Amino acid sequence: MSRFLLIVFMSFISIFSASAANADFMRSIGKIYVVVGVMLLLFIGITFYLILIDRRLTKFENQIKSDE
Amino acid sequence: MIEKGKIWKFSGVILIVYVIIAGLLIPLKSGIESVEPSYGNAGETLKIQVTGYNTHFKEAGNSLRAWLKWENGKAIAATEMVALDERRMNLTFSIPNNLPENTEVQAVTLLIDSEADGTSVLPSAIFLTQTEKVLAAEEVQWVKPGDFSNNGQITFPFRNILGETIRNTYFHVPLWFGMMFLFLFAVIHSIKYLRKGDAESDLKAEAYTQTGIFYGLLGLITGALWAKNTWGAYWSWDIKQNMTVVALLIYAAYFILRASFEDPEKRARVCAAYGIFAFSTLIPLIYVIPRLTDSLHPGSGGNPAFGSQDLDNTMRMVFYPAVIGFTLFGFWLSSLQFRYLRLQKLREDVD
Amino acid sequence: MKDLHFILLLLRKEFLLEFRTRSAISGIFLYVISTLFVVYETFIKIQPNVWNTLFWIILLFVAVNAMVKSFVQEKGNRVLYYYSLLNPSHVLIAKIVYNTLLLLVLSLLIWGLFIFFGDNPVKDIGLFLLILFLGSFGFSVTFTFLASLVAASNQSSTLLAVLSFPLIIPIILMLVKISAHALRLIQDTAVSGDLAILVAIDLLLCGVALLLFPFIWRD
Repeated sequence: MSRFLLIVFMSFISIFSASAANADFMRSIGKIYVVVGVMLLLFIGITFYLILIDRRLTKFENQIKSDE
Repeated sequence: MIEKGKIWKFSGVILIVYVIIAGLLIPLKSGIESVEPSYGNAGETLKIQVTGYNTHFKEAGNSLRAWLKWENGKAIAATEMVALDERRMNLTFSIPNNLPENTEVQAVTLLIDSEADGTSVLPSAIFLTQTEKVLAAEEVQWVKPGDFSNNGQITFPFRNILGETIRNTYFHVPLWFGMMFLFLFAVIHSIKYLRKGDAESDLKAEAYTQTGIFYGLLGLITGALWAKNTWGAYWSWDIKQNMTVVALLIYAAYFILRASFEDPEKRARVCAAYGIFAFSTLIPLIYVIPRLTDSLHPGSGGNPAFGSQDLDNTMRMVFYPAVIGFTLFGFWLSSLQFRYLRLQKLREDVD
Repeated sequence: MKDLHFILLLLRKEFLLEFRTRSAISGIFLYVISTLFVVYETFIKIQPNVWNTLFWIILLFVAVNAMVKSFVQEKGNRVLYYYSLLNPSHVLIAKIVYNTLLLLVLSLLIWGLFIFFGDNPVKDIGLFLLILFLGSFGFSVTFTFLASLVAASNQSSTLLAVLSFPLIIPIILMLVKISAHALRLIQDTAVSGDLAILVAIDLLLCGVALLLFPFIWRD
């Protein structure tokens, strides 16, 4: 769990630090890369949420299996 | 094919797909990015270089027209226009000896119109300085900009600091609306619980609150990236940002409250009551307080939502589906969460 | 008429209990005095805008400490007897009125001590008294209701602070803004509008609390 959270956290941080380091790049072509970044963050966030539910269900399934 | 009860999930996804396609493919209207130099004096012949965005100055050819317009409506036309390439153009204006307003420094708006691009406007493009009035002044050829051409393309409006990021309106803003709808549904289920005492309503309220917090966090993160590249800082201590953090704190406390009760029935009752009470403080928080102070967000100073200048008709065609789509998607996420919670509860009841 | 009778009876009970066990109330008074003393020891001279914020923050912390115990006594066998006798709204109204009065006294005490240790930056005393009342009422509604929620848990004081501080923000923002007006820190013609919003928030919270309390009260 903690390793997984770390990965999500690192990917957020890397997007933000990439945007901070390459301010010129982010602001080229009418700042279109900001939109790309926002959509990327959205995708990572939703994936994170899905993985959370997935893991909970897996745990649950394992419990039921061990009961049987 | 698709079961009846699942239509809303699929329509949510289809709406989001539509929003992504339309929101990314529709081009931005041409606009004026910058003007160099951006100041001048009364009475001189002013030569400026205009940099456009998405413009076709070369292609426009003879249909190009340009004006400098004062706030009181008076305007002068450009005397010479030389298109260097599609995005750059030299303009020459002969500024009158007597400027039409009474202040020393006057901001004028630059208007460019062509058949290829339609009309572009840059407010306060040039600051003109008038040191003293000239008594015997020449006749000035005031004109009225008009007869604007319309190229009939479907476009999103061009705003200077936003640029292409105006598209984030469809990916960041709907998260807030979705968050409020999710919290609203959580409250509805809390009320249901208090009235009927049905344990499922309590679990539904919990699931909706969780997804609402998730949307709120996503909104904060995406908003921070957007703010950095338009307002210049991740966190601007803007009143709306702060209020959202407070809203998230309120609902984070909801989960601490949940965790601190052992008895499930007592927990459900107390949490339902807290959820309703918390939501009723959110109303002044989100809709009343931001009206009182200035905000960088659009619609501050009297209007909590978007005004008509912030959202034109083309944007509405994408923005409203985006709000509905993201809300339905949030409901889907909450329903997954709820089904998990229900299974867990069933299991606990069996044990 | 009968409602009023019950509420007054309950109010009398609150006062009697408070005077019989004087340790709690004197603890709060001591808390106020020592906080103020520490503040003046460290600040020495307080600017009016700092004074404004400090006053409400101190009142906030005093309120949390004073109100945690609102429902602590209502446990055990005596409560079972209450259930059969009383209307829950009467209980809540009595508690809110009692806590409002208590907070009003405490806020006047804080103000008095501020004047005693330093000077008095308040220019519009009528307005300031009005918002002291509105603030005490708003604090009292929020804290009393939340105290009733957390009374059953075993770590109620931390929980109360965590729950109430975000919820109190709309009220405290309005209070600081209006009291800045009373201190003549800002010139704003819209003060009556701000007062109306504050009253509206207070009444909204009070109404919601009264609606919800019966569900928590019956165990």
